[in-house]
Amino acid sequence: MAGGFLAYALRRLFAAVPTLFGVTLIIFFMVRVLPGDPARVLAGLEADQHEVDRIRVQLGLDKPAPVQYAFFLEHALRGDLGRSTVTQAPVLAEIAGRLGPTTLLAATATILAGVLGVASGILVSTRQYTAADYALTVLALAGVSIPVYWLGLMLMLVFAVALHLLPAGGDTAPQSLILPSITLAAFSLAIIERMTRSSMLESLRQDYVRTARAKGLADQVVVYRHALRNALIPVVTVLGLQFGALIGGAILTETTFAWPGIGRLLVDAIARRDYPMIQGVVLLFAVTFVLVNLAVDLLYGYIDPRIRFG
Amino acid sequence: MMRTGLYRVGALVTACAVALTLGIPYGGQAAAPTSLHVAIGIDADTLDPEGQTTTTVANMVDYMFDSLVWPNDERSGVKPGEPQYTKLVPQLATSWTVSRDGLTYTFKLRQGVKFHDGTDFNADAVKFNVQRWLDPAVRNPNRYYFTDIDTSRIETPDPSTIVLHLKQPSPTLLGRIASGVGEILSPAAVRKIGNDKIPLGPLDAGTGPYVFKEWVHGDHITLVRNPGYWGRKPYFDEVVFRVVPNAGTRETMLRAGDVQMAFEPPAPDVPALRRDAGLRVVEGPSDRDVFIGLNNQYGPLKDVRVRQALNYAINKQAIIHSVLFGLATVLESPTTPALFGYAKLQAGGWPFNPVKAKAMLAEAGYANGFTLNFRTPTGRYIQDYQFAQAVAAQLANVGIKAQIQTTDWPTYVSWILTPLERTPLQIFVLGWATQYLDADGELYGQFYSAQAPPKGLAPSFYKDAKVDELLIAGQTTSDPKRREAIYKEAQQLIWNDAPWIFLWSQNFYVVTSSRLEGVTTTPNEKWAAIYATWK
Repeated sequence: MAGGFLAYALRRLFAAVPTLFGVTLIIFFMVRVLPGDPARVLAGLEADQHEVDRIRVQLGLDKPAPVQYAFFLEHALRGDLGRSTVTQAPVLAEIAGRLGPTTLLAATATILAGVLGVASGILVSTRQYTAADYALTVLALAGVSIPVYWLGLMLMLVFAVALHLLPAGGDTAPQSLILPSITLAAFSLAIIERMTRSSMLESLRQDYVRTARAKGLADQVVVYRHALRNALIPVVTVLGLQFGALIGGAILTETTFAWPGIGRLLVDAIARRDYPMIQGVVLLFAVTFVLVNLAVDLLYGYIDPRIRFG
Repeated sequence: MMRTGLYRVGALVTACAVALTLGIPYGGQAAAPTSLHVAIGIDADTLDPEGQTTTTVANMVDYMFDSLVWPNDERSGVKPGEPQYTKLVPQLATSWTVSRDGLTYTFKLRQGVKFHDGTDFNADAVKFNVQRWLDPAVRNPNRYYFTDIDTSRIETPDPSTIVLHLKQPSPTLLGRIASGVGEILSPAAVRKIGNDKIPLGPLDAGTGPYVFKEWVHGDHITLVRNPGYWGRKPYFDEVVFRVVPNAGTRETMLRAGDVQMAFEPPAPDVPALRRDAGLRVVEGPSDRDVFIGLNNQYGPLKDVRVRQALNYAINKQAIIHSVLFGLATVLESPTTPALFGYAKLQAGGWPFNPVKAKAMLAEAGYANGFTLNFRTPTGRYIQDYQFAQAVAAQLANVGIKAQIQTTDWPTYVSWILTPLERTPLQIFVLGWATQYLDADGELYGQFYSAQAPPKGLAPSFYKDAKVDELLIAGQTTSDPKRREAIYKEAQQLIWNDAPWIFLWSQNFYVVTSSRLEGVTTTPNEKWAAIYATWK
């Protein structure tokens, strides 16, 4: 079993290679199809054409795109993602500097969404059509429909401006994390709560649950050991998919809260047509997606023994 | 059983949250008066003075460096409310002379000044910097500012004198040197850090009132006071520029007390900010012209009567009042009052007269109007997309259907740079400002015919032989009185030709805590807050 698992994991990892290669190809050429000249953006509107040409040569943008791509790929394979055309800092160092804040934010939001979402989902599944159920339904609806930036600004107005309890933005104190992670978690929390609720309701109606109850097992054992384990399979899938939503949400949340993370790095890079930086960040996102998908697949096996790694 | 378990978890989570919010005291609102926090909209691209293309970034760089000459401002003792940037005053040079033929500039340098790294400021350091301005290995988008200097003939007769020889007269040279692009770096620091690393952290390279401490990309840039500054000492020990891209967040952080000063919060909130007793809106005119460029070579716009009619059709004052919240001043000339060579041509700008506009369109053969595409950026100039909609509505009143299209800034720039044969532009929103506050920067950049794209950035494709001749004369004439006359004539010709719909110069504004005193704005879109104090 252990060997099978390892072979399965390795096979999945290898399958990711062509995916990642495809991603680099698409990103590289898509970025270059975007209108807007990085050399001109860098030189500023008032600079003269000679200077713009000089910068273009410095950046290697005077070479044909396939040559640039080959150069990029060759360096990327050696772990060198190039230098930002804007700050001239190495892309990898810049990304590494922003990885910490984003990971912290995304991890806190995921835990918040996962734990609270599953807990509240279980809670309402065991008391369908009660006041608590309706209240959480309304909250979940709010969670999926309120735009991230609006929720963020409202939280700021209440907790920073009116109550003076928390900082409005930035990454200056541990408390700075609270508002952005709540904001970022809201959408996923709502989705996971709804998912857990319906999945649990499904499980609780199954024959094996009735059998377990008939055996006289304690309520807690029935719910957690028997029903929950099966109910969690679709929840794990959703949790994995929510990771994508988290990255998208992180871009807005980071901008709203002036959080110095990867999402904002990407937005800034696009606004400045910083090709190497855009490529680097998107490549990172792609790698993360592949790894999260892998983790979700592997987690299935742990939760559901029927899934084998053969 | 299960119920109590869940409640226990809930109680624990709530307790943790409360402990986190209340237990750890949050000190943001009690602003430490020794440290000034300023929320700015963008992160720096480079902290090398020579690389500056954005006034926000140049503004931060100014804290760390001095120049030979500088426009009179707070550093030379100008108080908020007093006229600023009206003349050039000594900074690292104590005096200067220009030869009669305009070809030789002799600067006497301030003595006893030390760079942050402890080395001496002297003529050799200036020579090093002048050569660096023109060094192709240094990325300097403003290199063309200094191309008239002959670097092979720089003289340093003694440590406090430097003589620059020019290849041809350059009446705007002093203004260019004073634009911030000509700030002086320590040669020792540049050699130690390296030209390619200076943009990332000019550690100890300047002579200015503040010293670079750290730059956490995307988050903040911190400067600390220079204890050995040769000039007036600032009040705050430390200045932290916090990068906050969202304008609403900058406002919220200011209201929450996280920062004491915020760069351009959302324009629609300005009326409310003005009413808030705890805050102060600091604003002033800038040298930035905001206009609707007309493609002078496109269809109906080739006819001067049509272009004039468009100017008559727009009620600028009403749009400033209702859409820009008063944050602009109507253009009364193609340039703005902040520039040398400015001539006021028509009080109140082109008059609003839709009846006359319709009559002129009918006279030009467009009684039934016509359709134009109308392009605008979003968020680049104050209320740009919003005022474009107001303008389109007013154009509709005289029978012109303008269809608005918008995009992100780099794409917009690529539209602007497209040559005439392929340009998508018919009418478009654009702003133009010049770092060296001279009519040359505005008029040559936008109305000299050879500046048409792709060579330059004059997308109105305006072409007038007399104007071309005047603009070249303005660049090479040394006598200031003569230059003023030349620019007055050029402005008059351009104004009557109406190559743009002349709109307004937008105001530059920051909002501060009302306890922060001594903050003002300058005409080149900077804030002057180095000598601000806390009450």
